[in-house]
Order: sequence, then C-alpha cells, then structure tokens
Amino acid sequence: MPKIVIDPITRIEGHLRIEAQVEGGKVADAWSAGTMWRGIEIIVKNRDPREVWAFLSRI
Amino acid sequence: MRAVENALGITIPDNARIIRNLISGIQYVQDHVIHFYHLHALDWVDVVSALKADPGKTAALSQSLSDWPNATPGYFKAIQAKVKALVESGQLGIFANGYWGHPAYKLPPEANLMAVAHYLEALDWQKEVIRMQALLGAKNPHPQTFLVGGMSIPVDPNSQNALNAGSIALLQDLAKKARAFVEKVYIPDLLAVASFYKEWAAIGGGVGNYLSYGEFQNDNKSNTTNCWLPAGFIRNRNLAKVEPVDHLKVTEDAARAWYKYSDGDDKAKHPWVGETVPNYTGPKPPYEFLETDKKYSWVKGIRYDGLSTEVGPLSRMLIAYAAGHKRIKEVVDSVLKKLGVGPEALFSTLGRTAARGIETLVTAEMLPVWIDDLAGRMKAGDLRIHNGEKWDPASWPKEAKGYGFH
Repeated sequence: MPKIVIDPITRIEGHLRIEAQVEGGKVADAWSAGTMWRGIEIIVKNRDPREVWAFLSRI
Repeated sequence: MRAVENALGITIPDNARIIRNLISGIQYVQDHVIHFYHLHALDWVDVVSALKADPGKTAALSQSLSDWPNATPGYFKAIQAKVKALVESGQLGIFANGYWGHPAYKLPPEANLMAVAHYLEALDWQKEVIRMQALLGAKNPHPQTFLVGGMSIPVDPNSQNALNAGSIALLQDLAKKARAFVEKVYIPDLLAVASFYKEWAAIGGGVGNYLSYGEFQNDNKSNTTNCWLPAGFIRNRNLAKVEPVDHLKVTEDAARAWYKYSDGDDKAKHPWVGETVPNYTGPKPPYEFLETDKKYSWVKGIRYDGLSTEVGPLSRMLIAYAAGHKRIKEVVDSVLKKLGVGPEALFSTLGRTAARGIETLVTAEMLPVWIDDLAGRMKAGDLRIHNGEKWDPASWPKEAKGYGFH
C-alpha cells in the first residue's frame, strides 16, 4: 500500500509532517510528526521566573 | 505568567486582567480571520475560476449576503483584472501554490471572485485592527507588556505617557472596524462557502474528546473558573455532560517521541514531574519515511485523563454550547439552522471551521464591552495595573509549584 508524505503542513504555524497510509484511494492510517526540536523547557531552566513568560509565549 | 502567579499566590488588579483579556481577544479576532482567508480558504476557493465570474452577478451575490459597501460590479471587475494580470504574468505570487481547477472545488465562479476580493480586503483590515495589539501589547505577535503581577503598561486618562482617554477612543474605533468586517464579510462568506461543502459536515470528526481551560477571566483569582469562555472537558462527543477540568489529569509521554525518560519512555508524566531529555533515534536525513512503528516526532504525547483530546475553537465553542453559554448557544444554533444541519455536524471539518468563525464573532462583540469596562475604571480613578507585593525574590518561598493555562 502506498504511503504519502505531506511536509511541511502549511495550515499551521510551526513545523509539522504527516505520513499517511493510503488504501483504495482513502487514508487508512496517519501519523503526525513535529519535525523541530525546541527545548523551551531547557531554555528556561535556572532563569528568573519573572522573565520566563517571554520565552514560553513562543510555544 | 499565570503559572508563576499561581505558584506565588499573586492576585492581579482588574485593569491588568481586562488588558490581558483584550490582548487575547484581539488576537483571537485577527488571527481567526487570517486563518480563514489566508491559511485555509484556498482549500475551498479556486482563485483561477474567479476569472470566469460575472462581476455584476458577483455584486448581486455579495449584496444578498450583507450590506458591506465594497460590493459593486465595478469593484469586483477591478479585483478580477488584478487576478487576471497575475495569472497572465505566469507568476502567481501569493497564489502560486494552489490546486486550481481541481474537481474538489465546488464554488461557482462568482463565489470564488467574492472570496478572492475578501481575501485581499482582509489583508488591509488586519493591518488596521492589529494596531489594538500595538497599543496594548507593544507588538504582535508576542506582546511585550506582560509582567508577573499584572501589566507594565500604565493607565491614566490624563497622561500623555499612559494608556489614556485618546487611546481608549482609538481602541473603540478599531474594535468597531474589527467587528464590522467579521459581521458583514467573514461570517456571510463562511456560511456561503459552507453551503457548497456540506459533505464536510461528515468528514474530519477527530478524536471526539474536547478540552477547554477557559479564557477571558471575569475575576482576578489565579486560575479562576469564572471565565467568559468556560473551562470543561467533553468525553466522546457527549454534549450532555461537561466535566470540570483537573490539571492533574494532563500528562506527557515519550513512547513515540524522541525523548528519554529516566523510568521508561511510556510512563505518562504530569508536567510538574516532566522530563525533557532529547534522544533522536529516527532515520538519518535525508529519508523517505519516518519509522512510525517506533519513535517519530519531537512532540510528546499529550493526554487528558489518558485520552487524545482536541483543543482550540471547536472545543471552546462545544464546551460553551454544552454548558449553556447564552450568546454562544444562540449563534451556534443560528449557524446550524442556516446550514440546515444538526449539532452532530459540529464534529467535523465544517464544524471546526464554523466554530472558528463563531468564536471570532462573539469575541469581536466583547471587545467594546471590555474596553468600556477598562475606561470606566480609569475614569473612576482606579489606575492600578500591577501588584508588586511578591516582586522581590526575598518574598518568595524556597520552593513553589504552580500551573496556569492559556
């Protein structure tokens, strides 16, 4: 069965990839993948909690 | 911000709460319009087909939907000429990447031309209304005026260096413009386009669980449940029961994501004990396919009570609808009636697209109310914008936990 890939998905802001299993012209199964590593949790570690919002609002 | 305020037990002043509501509200209105016209509409609207439209009939169509003034044959003829010049140049610019002529497009040429005209108008409209965001948040996106404990933007009706009576008047004027376009262009377009794509009311149902944390606080209590858009959880499309939200039911797992957990990647962890240790085990790029039977994403598996759950406008509108929110119930029922479909149609791509429009409309209606609320308090002499009691780290406990939603 053919697998199709849509990457990037352009209806969102951010980086998303879809792989879909196609059977008889219809999608039988699909997987969404975030293709970018951000690590916001690591960026804000040990920072002053009063400035953390400015980083987290980028999520 | 809310998590830190929750952890430290900070209550923000009314003015800060209202300005936060306004910043989020304007964001909803502007961003939803952009999503509909500029990110989503070209899945439904065939730009090239607009060339075949009769400008006179397009004007008649537009006038039948609302009294928006840009609806003359001459106006649509000029838009058509603009699109024609683009197509003939062979360089479609912003319209380069479409599926023009695909049989899945259902709109008649006149509806396509009208939608293309409004696509272009929405670009000008957003440039104007987003000035509200600049006034209150200094920039868009990522406003800069937030502060743990409140906001950093001073309010004083009589000061040149604060949000004053002049800025209130400008905000009201921009809110009026924002609302007029939503009422007279976006919603009529949404209904007109939807009426040609009703089969999409049975496609794209999603996982069937809906979560809203609540937004637009009516009081200043940290994580209050007294919100204009209510918090709640709907399980398996059951609109008869809205469950209260419990943040402890939110978990992240790394079974399918490129992270390593100290006690096994399939352990669901509440964010308070979350771990973020990247561990890429996917194929070496360039690759054709990911290993979807193993780990395949940088996004952890986020679950509510162990379930995959939808968030966003459809969830918020469903929860408000099921919880009996008066205005939202009224608008949802009127949209369903106009499209001739029942509430089950909400669980679909069409429902999700309609919910975004409904949320835009009801939020645009609230902007002037919130601006008036702020103006009234300023006029009465309440200029408080920040609670600084817990600003000094010396006032903090050694350890604190908090949570906050947006």
